Amino acid sequence: MDKPQKIRYGKLIRHISLRQNIISFNDFAHRQLALRQQSRKKKRASLRGIDIYRLLAPYISSRFIAQIKVVLPLAVYLILFQTLVLNQIVSEPVKILLGLAAVVLGLMLFMEGLSKGLMPFGETIGHNLPAKVSLPTVLLVAFLLGIGVTFAEPAIGALQAAGSILKVENAPYLYTLLNDWSTTLVLIVGLGVGLAVVLGTLRLLYNWSLKYFIYGSLAPALGLTAWCMQDAELSKTLGLAWDCGAVTTGPVTVPLVLALGIGIASASGRGVSALSGFGIVTLASLFPIIGVLLLSLFVAASTTPEAIIAAAHAGMHSAASAIPWYAESPMQEVLAGLQAIVPLVVFLMIVLRVLLREKLPTPGIIAYGIILCVLGMIIFSIGLRYGLTALGAQAGSLLSAAFTAVEHVSESPIYPWSIGIGIALIFAFILGFGATVAEPALNALGNTVDTLTNGAFEKKVLIYAVAFGVACGIALGVLKIIFSLKLAYLLMPLYTLALLLTWLSTEEFVNVAWDSAGVTTGPITVPLVLAMGLGLGNAVDAIEGFGILSLASIGPILTVLLTGLWVQYKVHKKHRAMDQQVQGEAA
Amino acid sequence: MSVQHINVLTDVFLITCIVQRGRAKAVLKAAQDAGAQGATIHYGHGHGVQEMLGILSVAINAEKEIVNILVPSDLCDMIFEKMSIAGHLDTPGMGMIYLTRIEKAATYIPQHILDAISASDAQKSDV
Repeated sequence: MDKPQKIRYGKLIRHISLRQNIISFNDFAHRQLALRQQSRKKKRASLRGIDIYRLLAPYISSRFIAQIKVVLPLAVYLILFQTLVLNQIVSEPVKILLGLAAVVLGLMLFMEGLSKGLMPFGETIGHNLPAKVSLPTVLLVAFLLGIGVTFAEPAIGALQAAGSILKVENAPYLYTLLNDWSTTLVLIVGLGVGLAVVLGTLRLLYNWSLKYFIYGSLAPALGLTAWCMQDAELSKTLGLAWDCGAVTTGPVTVPLVLALGIGIASASGRGVSALSGFGIVTLASLFPIIGVLLLSLFVAASTTPEAIIAAAHAGMHSAASAIPWYAESPMQEVLAGLQAIVPLVVFLMIVLRVLLREKLPTPGIIAYGIILCVLGMIIFSIGLRYGLTALGAQAGSLLSAAFTAVEHVSESPIYPWSIGIGIALIFAFILGFGATVAEPALNALGNTVDTLTNGAFEKKVLIYAVAFGVACGIALGVLKIIFSLKLAYLLMPLYTLALLLTWLSTEEFVNVAWDSAGVTTGPITVPLVLAMGLGLGNAVDAIEGFGILSLASIGPILTVLLTGLWVQYKVHKKHRAMDQQVQGEAA
Repeated sequence: MSVQHINVLTDVFLITCIVQRGRAKAVLKAAQDAGAQGATIHYGHGHGVQEMLGILSVAINAEKEIVNILVPSDLCDMIFEKMSIAGHLDTPGMGMIYLTRIEKAATYIPQHILDAISASDAQKSDV
């Protein structure tokens, strides 16, 4: 056994460890108190440069890395696919790389600004408004906020960017919707979101079932789709309309609207259950579809395709001669960024000061957050144009080189037709799967579902179900573009199936499944997939490249509903087996 | 009537380290590398330094994690230092660490270790 030791281990450790500089807390406190009395006003601690660096370095790097983690794998995947499978060099690599860096930087600034500048508004208003004003006023504020957040949504910019790739002759109504009517389009989408916030909040207040809302909003949406299908020109706008639903539910809308909705519901005394907050996102992705469908009907009624083509050509000639300074690329983004954030902030400010008569708790920090928001929005949309959209469009147009002859790609088709199509589909599938698994919002949803079902519906299962749904949806969307399938023929049976499954499922799973569709389409996925679809569409001479996002939304709804039913069945079977066992033992 | 024994530990110190939410893992790793065993982490809300830092306070998360570790007195200085370095506690707003003497503690002690200790105690008393 051990011999009794002569040297204490602690003494050895003392010798090899750091030298401690001992300061009495009494001394420290006395000095600080004396200093404070000397200069009454200046309560600020004076910091050395190194302290500021140490303070800011982890703050910035952790946020930067969080965005890198989302953007980098997707970009690497796209670039590797392009170089290794398609044997094509990425054109303008420096520009795209800088653009991607801008996306990361912009998104980082924007998200930080959102949490420091805009979220405190949403939370304060959500908590205090219901106590101070009547319900109709609260709902009016919620409605206006819904419109405001839509304008501030970064992914909305992707729609406008998408409009510039479009050829006017192919789809005149679509072209005019995205170019001449683009502000109205966003406004209509905003109205849809606003209405969704109002109804979603009422639903939370009165505990209405989400199922009826889904039936009620899908019926007109599908009806209008069937109506638009009759017209050859109008049917080309269907893809845009259904995609708008996916675009709206991004990083600004979801947290702000949820903060407001949950705040109102909890302030009214209804207990906050695990399910509260669900449903608003679903409605916010369904109502804009109806709005955009109605808008396209209105546009079709007020003008003819010929007039649009003529106007676009005339406009192109005059535009080429003199672009005003504020419509050129960097300035345009700066103005758009200001336009997106400033009205929202002014609106929130008015609500806070006039309706609530409250002051901001920390105005300095909120101002800092708002400045970050604006800066981030500007940098993000510049990056969107030169980085993500360019990369996605390139990948989309090159993707077609796998199976058909494309003029600017030598040796195309690179693969025999059937293998090429297969490669394109696999590419789309992996893109969808990877982009969804990386989405941070999905992780949060997974946790909620796990607790909601007491672990029967595991988080991992949900994430894979959603990712599988999105991946299938995107692959289906690529098929649709390659073969110029009619979107309505794909959407109508899928949504009918979703309705049937909704009718069969319990309220919890309906909430989760329909919300999962909105959650998956984040600020990276939306522009990338939109641009890829449009690039592919242009390359294979499809009429329009929209619709991928809408299929990517219905995919997870179906997979999650099916998984939910399966989980329910499994739990039911287990319970029955246990019951039988108990009965057997009793007998 | 049989007497129930419990094993009471002495020479125990408690290190409490308060860091920003999400940083506890790094501090814990440093402590475990230096020889600490288990730890308890709970959540709290910090207050005070932010008001003094002005705009720089955006870099500080008011949500804190509190790491509690019981350490043997021989190792306490070493672990204390390793933890304060890993937590970057010399930076404003990063948190704090303190060491408390614990009168006694009791927990599960594996039987073979108990045997070894009693054997060496017996040897000591023989000398």
